[in-house]
Amino acid sequence: MQELTPLDPAQVHVLRIRSAIAAVLGLLGAWAIELSQLRETWVPAMLVPALALLGGLFLVFVFPGRRYRRWSYREGEDEIEIRRGSLILRRTIVPFGRVQHIDVAQGPIQRPFGLATLIIHTAGTQSASVSLPGLKLADAEALRDRIRVKIRQDLV
Amino acid sequence: VSEHVLQGRRLHPATLIVRWLRIVPQMFAAGVGLAATARREGFGRFLIYAAVAAALGAVFAFLYWWRFRYTIGDGEIVIEKGVLRRQRRVIPFDRVHDIAIEQRLLARLFGAAKVRIETGGAARDEGDLDMIAIADAHALRDIIRHGARAPHADAPAETPEEPVLFEMGLARVLFSGVFGFSLLFLAAIWAVVQQLEQLHLVDPAAWFTPQEAETAAHLVTLTFGLELAALVIVLGVVAGVVRTVLRDFGFTLTRSEAGLRRRRGLFTLSEVVIPIRRTQVALIESGLIGRALGWQRLAFQTLGADKKEGGVQVAAPFARMEEILPILAEAGFPPPPPRESFHGAPKRALLRKIVPHILIAVPLTMAAFLFDVRAGVGVAAIAVLAVAAALRWRTHGHYEHESAFCVTGGLLRRRLWLMPYEKLQAIDISSGPIQRPMRLATLVVDTAGAPSMHSLAMHDLDAAEADALADRLYAAWLGARALIKGRHG
Repeated sequence: MQELTPLDPAQVHVLRIRSAIAAVLGLLGAWAIELSQLRETWVPAMLVPALALLGGLFLVFVFPGRRYRRWSYREGEDEIEIRRGSLILRRTIVPFGRVQHIDVAQGPIQRPFGLATLIIHTAGTQSASVSLPGLKLADAEALRDRIRVKIRQDLV
Repeated sequence: VSEHVLQGRRLHPATLIVRWLRIVPQMFAAGVGLAATARREGFGRFLIYAAVAAALGAVFAFLYWWRFRYTIGDGEIVIEKGVLRRQRRVIPFDRVHDIAIEQRLLARLFGAAKVRIETGGAARDEGDLDMIAIADAHALRDIIRHGARAPHADAPAETPEEPVLFEMGLARVLFSGVFGFSLLFLAAIWAVVQQLEQLHLVDPAAWFTPQEAETAAHLVTLTFGLELAALVIVLGVVAGVVRTVLRDFGFTLTRSEAGLRRRRGLFTLSEVVIPIRRTQVALIESGLIGRALGWQRLAFQTLGADKKEGGVQVAAPFARMEEILPILAEAGFPPPPPRESFHGAPKRALLRKIVPHILIAVPLTMAAFLFDVRAGVGVAAIAVLAVAAALRWRTHGHYEHESAFCVTGGLLRRRLWLMPYEKLQAIDISSGPIQRPMRLATLVVDTAGAPSMHSLAMHDLDAAEADALADRLYAAWLGARALIKGRHG
């Protein structure tokens, strides 16, 4: 049985940039609330932006690292296992014989870092598609090609 | 019958009448709706709308029929339809999971039937032939089943007598209807009231003016309430019986060449073949009272299953276990294991089930004491939910059969799933924030066509045990796979 493989370290930056975008949007929203009628209520001035700032700091500096460490995968002989989740830990095992098709996708934030997401589709419902983000594009494509060889056109 | 007869065929002419009857009321209702918003009433106007709707409906029905053609070619069926936007769909026979034949009352008068070609795709009406002659429908099914060959004219259209696996007499159907208690009629009454309101024929808001509400309040006594409740229950039972008889009248399950053939219906006859090779999971269900009397329902999860029935196809709606066992055996499923052989979740899973309730109940109890006694009602409701969760923990369990994985659970409605190992799609183990410190995990076995609500899930297992079980299930899948491969050479 092979070892668990972590994602590419650059994935932390991707997660951080995403978090930063969310944090900025959150701050803007909080500022808008601050400027609205909130002044007349019992809520102290600057409380909402302060909370948003705290949340934003958590999102940018703590969350991406945690999130990144929780992701890992193991490529077995006939199956792939993916572990993920920060609040709810999940571990999904997909036999290669059950893979319907595989996508390699690359988002706009991933592209500058040369990262890609591998998406595995099965005929199931709950785990109908399992994605594995944060692989080097070349690695993702190599993995896709290795899995593709093992896909058998089984009847469901 | 030579090939050219099957080239570019049109639908049965009765389609014109049936479609017309379906379109006209919709168009008429739309016209009346418009009239109602314009707030100009008058009987003459309704007549004009009716006439326009009838004429337009006839044109639309004709256009649909005229532009619809289907061709049975070599190993595939081609359906062309659409008036403005033409659509051409090719369905290869080996992609067809199932062919359902449905005959509504009107269709039966014309000897026509609606054919639904199930391919397991997402689109609902991708392979509908609505309607063709019943003889053509049977012929089409034979052609698709036997591959590309067109049937010989002299060959018998009907297959020889198939062995009956299960059937229900009228008495059984009526009895099963009593358990099909339905409050659908309440929804129906409400829909009618809303329709009438839209047409400004009634005004529900006027029923609740202060004066009238006061008059009404005097009428509402305990006896009146009890009588009303009794009436609702009686109507619910009657509605359940009627619905069941309409659906399950003459229920027959036979063993056909490719699977289990199900015929049923009073006015609308339907005929479906549940293909055995495509069955993923067997589901045995029972309600509280039915279970006490020994009645269960057997259904199969297949890929082409109708979402109306919850993604499963019913093989026996109301049967004794000894009637269910031969059907299961015929479909290649092992018998369900006895109650006591199931492995339950550990004791601390009970605690995990109670924790969220406590988290809500504690502040509610404080609120009841400090602010408002009525919060106590909420506490009582949560207590009931907690007891229900505890009882659910008791009935929940799993069992590893030689050839299938088995999960059971449910409080009032108890379910039992049987999944042959080779049908597994993926295994998912999850552990939430409450589960993690308690070393608990939930294992979900994903199957093809699984309904999102009720899939094979074993909740709150010991985390290590969940991992071990996942490995065993995967090993069993590999084993079953190797066995099938060996059989096929």
